[in-house]
Amino acid sequence: MKTRIALALVFGLFLPLLAEQAIGADDNWRNLSPREKDRVQRNYQRWKGLPPQDKEHLREEWNRYQRLPREQQDRLKQRYNDQRRDRRED
Amino acid sequence: MKHAMLLDNACKNYEEDLVLYYYGENNGAERRRVEQHLSTCHGCKSFVDDLNRVLPPMAEQQKMPQAFWDNYYRETVAKLEEQNERKNWWRTWLTPVRGWMVPAFGTVAGTVLVVGLLFGKGDLSSFVERPSRKVPQEIIADSNQLEFFRTMDMLESLDKLEQQDGTKSELQNTHSSRVRLYKGVA
Repeated sequence: MKTRIALALVFGLFLPLLAEQAIGADDNWRNLSPREKDRVQRNYQRWKGLPPQDKEHLREEWNRYQRLPREQQDRLKQRYNDQRRDRRED
Repeated sequence: MKHAMLLDNACKNYEEDLVLYYYGENNGAERRRVEQHLSTCHGCKSFVDDLNRVLPPMAEQQKMPQAFWDNYYRETVAKLEEQNERKNWWRTWLTPVRGWMVPAFGTVAGTVLVVGLLFGKGDLSSFVERPSRKVPQEIIADSNQLEFFRTMDMLESLDKLEQQDGTKSELQNTHSSRVRLYKGVA
């Protein structure tokens, strides 16, 4: 009986934490807009089909981008979004 | 039949008192009244005599040997246990459920509901919505990976964007220096 009570306490305390962690792992995904989700899916599918040297190049670009100052990152992102919007409007 | 005849022989208004007299349950005055009646009434006296003759063997307890009581006790206990087992088989089966699974499941269900309502802000569809199968869970769970695939388009033209940014910066710098120069001149 004591064992059962101990098990109940363990499950009662730790299961909610585990459940929360499991649900929290998807938060990044759930916070994306449908358009962003679509973009991630498309890019992932494209990534799978890329040759290894292109993948490596993209990884290097990513690492370089990560090392840029925050301001420059935002500026580049903004520029890219503007250009894309312009292309779409054309 | 004989017993019925005896009852018929006793006086109707004394029948009850005679039975109480036999068991010694009437008080002194009553008892004396009955004894006085018995001395004069043959029918009632016969009734009491017959009670004395018939009732003691009926009331006598049959003495059973100790072995009988030992067996009786064992059999009773065995029967009760068998009946208990038959009645409670499902309780034995459900004991672990009653012990710890009910509070555990209750807690999990409650937590899932609360987390769903809190993070979904009442919009259960966003809570129920699972990531697409096209993107593996390890990428979705890793914010760094997710950001990589989110910005992959931009990374492909990062060089060009940086050049443009650099050109613009240079233009801005040139403009700023001209302004400074103009101001300095002014």
